[in-house]
Amino acid sequence: MTVPVPNHRFPKLPYLALAAGVLCLIAGSYLGLFVAPPEHFMGDVQRIMYVHVPTAWNAMLAFTFAFVCAVFFLFTSDWKWDARMEAAAEVGCVLAFLLCCQGAIWAKPTWGVWWDWDPRLTTTAILLLAFIGILALRSFVDDPVRRATWSAVATIIASVDVPIVYYSVRWWNSLHQLQSSPATVSKSFHLPLRLNAFGILFLMTGFIILRARIASLRLADELAPPPLPAVEPA
Amino acid sequence: MTGGYLHGGWNFVWAAYGWTAIVLTAYGASLLTRLRRSR
Repeated sequence: MTVPVPNHRFPKLPYLALAAGVLCLIAGSYLGLFVAPPEHFMGDVQRIMYVHVPTAWNAMLAFTFAFVCAVFFLFTSDWKWDARMEAAAEVGCVLAFLLCCQGAIWAKPTWGVWWDWDPRLTTTAILLLAFIGILALRSFVDDPVRRATWSAVATIIASVDVPIVYYSVRWWNSLHQLQSSPATVSKSFHLPLRLNAFGILFLMTGFIILRARIASLRLADELAPPPLPAVEPA
Repeated sequence: MTGGYLHGGWNFVWAAYGWTAIVLTAYGASLLTRLRRSR
């Protein structure tokens, strides 16, 4: 393994991604809140779906990216994949936490409860707790090589839950509705959903790049060779 | 809720959008602060 050198070829890229994300989210939320019609059964409460569903998609995408980074790190031992894995895991946790909060706010008026131990909710909570555990593991281990290897293996194991979360509504009798597709959703709902999905995707990309920079700067500091002892004049 | 139809609920909608904005803004700000400190 070589000492990582933080390489920021496109220093403005994360800020451009964040700006694009904010613009998409403002436009998508405006359409979702004020332009799209209320849903037939859920009424205005359905408008929560315009942030909840894009958050869910992007949380799963972040955890999948963490899995890809873990595999690449174990095969290549390249530190940039370790930094990216840490970044994707943390951003995935933020989005999954947000996802659970939005789901609870939606569940109260529709299901009558804030939380239910339904398969989709339970597997999502397990996924969030597993990745919080991985971040805790990374903060406890001081040796960078052990930290990277152990957390890469743990990330691969935790990522097994991502397809389980996706298919949980089909495999078990779930209170949570099945996945929607453009064919099952009214066309008037498409644009706010897509704009917010791209908005959170751009935000997530900007966050992961910034967080990976923080991780690579710390790694460069940890793995830098110790300074040479001062030579005393003869 | 009456007869399977939901009426109102805008307070829940604002809560979901507001909390989303707060969490994403706070996390973005924390990243910028941590990046500045680590340089």
